[in-house]
Amino acid sequence: MKKLVSPLPLLALVLSAGALFAHHGNSAYDETARVPIKGTVTEFVWKNPHSQIYLDVKDRSGKVVNWGIETNSPGILTRAGWTRRALKAGDEVTITLCPAKNGQPVAYIGSGDPGTKVVFADGRELNFVDKTVDKTGP
Amino acid sequence: MRIHSRRRLSLGSPVAPLAMILLISSGAIAQAPPKSPSVAAPRRDLSGVWGMQPARETSADDKQSPGGAIPPLTAWAKARYDLEKPGYGKRAAPGGNDPILQCDPMGFPRILYFPTPFEFAQLSNRVLQMFERDNVVRQIWTDGRKLPDDPDPLWYGYSTGKWVDDTTFVVESTGYDDRTWLGAAGFPHSETMRLEERYQRVDRDTINFTLRIDDPEAYTKPWIALPRVFKLRPRAEIRQGYCVFSEENAFTKRIREPGALSSGAAPKK
Repeated sequence: MKKLVSPLPLLALVLSAGALFAHHGNSAYDETARVPIKGTVTEFVWKNPHSQIYLDVKDRSGKVVNWGIETNSPGILTRAGWTRRALKAGDEVTITLCPAKNGQPVAYIGSGDPGTKVVFADGRELNFVDKTVDKTGP
Repeated sequence: MRIHSRRRLSLGSPVAPLAMILLISSGAIAQAPPKSPSVAAPRRDLSGVWGMQPARETSADDKQSPGGAIPPLTAWAKARYDLEKPGYGKRAAPGGNDPILQCDPMGFPRILYFPTPFEFAQLSNRVLQMFERDNVVRQIWTDGRKLPDDPDPLWYGYSTGKWVDDTTFVVESTGYDDRTWLGAAGFPHSETMRLEERYQRVDRDTINFTLRIDDPEAYTKPWIALPRVFKLRPRAEIRQGYCVFSEENAFTKRIREPGALSSGAAPKK
């Protein structure tokens, strides 16, 4: 007797294998989370080995908290299509990030964590997909 | 030694479907199926920019590290290992004492596993391996010289290389400063560590890479690293990725330290 096997456990296995590769190991951040946060850029630091985005975010009570968001080096970001002028103070953006585990207003976005990104009010997106990888080859 | 050989699995075996799923999923993530036939490798030439493909890492300690089955540590190495507080791997904790947090050199082979591409350039008497991190240039001598018997410890060691056939370049090296870690998970090595790297260019776009670490002062057996694949990246350029202490320090104060505070600590002002 043949019995059809549900694809769900197989899918779960494949997804969990993928999660292993995606794990970045940066222990301060919750890399299983993807939290969208809307705010106004106050500073963009284009430096090695960690570029940084600082963002004013209003909390529920209306108080403004300045978040510090770690991201990749200019080398990695350049290959993902960013420039040093990609963000500037005053830009209104929504950033999908991995927040700090300890609840402080610091977070990570970058190539180690697929799905993290910056989206502008007009829908333009900055992400971490390497644009120099040759799509015609293996 | 063939590291790539896989045991044959009987289709009737209960583990076969699981193994196939893992093989398929790792392959799918490592690379998309080739759309065109591969182009043959040029003869005795590694020139170009190369990027490491993600691998099916078997442990959290494989991240940004040689990976594979880590052999038992000697007492000397265990004492060092216990003092090291990495930000990655099974013992990862915020903060820590990873030397690169102060922009100390990453050393080799750790820099190879850092997620940025590197470039090979070939000169008449050496191969240059150029890394983005700290703009490091590693010289691999190909003029037939031997490794020194009593080398000065260097951050990136002393390396010689030779072609063992038209597509396989083998590098032997020693003389590594023992302040560097073998990877981001904090495994130590001694100054007498010897490495054997094999770069086999199996087609124009692909290098199969293996690494063997012989360090009897630190490990009771040779450490065979997880086999890795490098892909040619003709559209990528190596940038100047210097880690500058003043800049790293500013980052530490603004983001790393708040992120490493224990939960419930006073919020950042």
